[in-house]
Amino acid sequence: MTIVLDPTAGSNADIATPGPDAGPLAGKRVAIRIDMLWRSWDWVSQIWAEELRAEGAEVEFWRSCGRTGEEGRVAAEEYAAVLARADMAIVGLGNCGSCTSWTIADALQAAATGIPTIAVATAHFEALAKNLARRGGRSGLRLHILPYPLDILPRSEVDDIARNQYRSFLRNFGVRSGLAQLSAA
Amino acid sequence: MQDFLVRGGRFPDELIAHLPPLKTECTVEKIAINAVMAGAPPESMPLLIAAIEAMADPKFDLAGLNATTGSVVPAVIVNGPVRNKLGIPYQAGCLGGVAGSAAGIGRALRLIMRNVAGQLIDSTSQSVYGTPGRVAGIVFGEWEERSPWAPLAERRGVKGDAVTVYGAMGTANICDVVADSAEGFLEIIAKSMAYPGANGFLTSSAFSETLCAINPVWAEVIARQFPDMRDVQAFLWDKCALPIDWWRPEYRKPIEALGRIKADGRVHLVPTSDDVLVMVAGGLGGLHAAMLHSWGTCLTVTRAISE
Repeated sequence: MTIVLDPTAGSNADIATPGPDAGPLAGKRVAIRIDMLWRSWDWVSQIWAEELRAEGAEVEFWRSCGRTGEEGRVAAEEYAAVLARADMAIVGLGNCGSCTSWTIADALQAAATGIPTIAVATAHFEALAKNLARRGGRSGLRLHILPYPLDILPRSEVDDIARNQYRSFLRNFGVRSGLAQLSAA
Repeated sequence: MQDFLVRGGRFPDELIAHLPPLKTECTVEKIAINAVMAGAPPESMPLLIAAIEAMADPKFDLAGLNATTGSVVPAVIVNGPVRNKLGIPYQAGCLGGVAGSAAGIGRALRLIMRNVAGQLIDSTSQSVYGTPGRVAGIVFGEWEERSPWAPLAERRGVKGDAVTVYGAMGTANICDVVADSAEGFLEIIAKSMAYPGANGFLTSSAFSETLCAINPVWAEVIARQFPDMRDVQAFLWDKCALPIDWWRPEYRKPIEALGRIKADGRVHLVPTSDDVLVMVAGGLGGLHAAMLHSWGTCLTVTRAISE
């Protein structure tokens, strides 16, 4: 008798829902996770932070740098503390393989705390981001997709993208505010 | 299968690691199935298990490594008597092409990454080019018997049979026919490793390591002047640097922001001399060294191989 053994392994558990909506912004503390790779994400998140503050939210940035060794241990503690203080989390940027991996890992960690969470990636890495979220057990993770390529664009163009995308970003995040409710022009 | 499981010395359902990106359970049985498919010898099971344990160490950042746009693969370096028992190459042709078990062992690890961890190009891996090492791995040993220094794994705290995993951006050759001194050999190695596009110079990398394999002929000459490996590493680290002016002007600001421009205007490939990994391997033809650049923040991990 021949027995065929399966060389693969799979995961079963999945949360297909996006989690709680971000809701109203006024009085909320928003954690924005940035990184040391993408200047474009710094620029986009700065503009979004200004807009969030204008709607009454408080914004705290946290920059992801080394994630292994002693530096990684410290980073893990810092990030957990940032999430503990936050009412909602914006996590980016998935704009390469490894950084998308860390973006989704950090977004999954934020979502697991129960706070409204959205991961941000560029279009080329959307499929990877979705794959990793599904394989991480949360296929419903909210994603906002920015155009690709992004990081090689001049700042003025990236700033325009940030402003143009802000309303759709709010809607993806489940924000309820005057600006988010406006239909696209 | 039975032979593989017996040689593994563990229960088939024993969990060895959760491997990203799938984060699924890599059990002894899954390792054995893939090893059979790859044509690895049953006796390699303890090595395979140790290698998987090492890759799953959080320090190694396998999640990032398996997803990256980079062309990286975990290189597996074997120390101890197990090299000879398994026929792991460490002499001529050790990085590829010599007959032996390395290709089967390496292929088993690659199948585990695909079938268990779920690393698939254009799906969970964004590697722009990939690398030949992703087909049958990079598995080689250190020629300890011809090394004037202690074995790599021993210097990293593990004596005897051991496996060291290192996130390698492939292998590249360094050839020299002029140098005839320790400093001459080390300088050509160090300067060759310091090319501007190496990941260690990326302003997006928090830190990096680098690895070179020195052939036994050169090693003997080098050790006469540098009997202490720490001095070899320090010399290589010092010369493995580029003047900031080698980059276009727009690079200065981000490199400077990381505090990486030294007082003499040079930028070192890796932060400290401890981050320069050195081993002895290769044929007696001399003339060549091999450099294996690190992908980035995955830190090298060494594990004992337990029978």
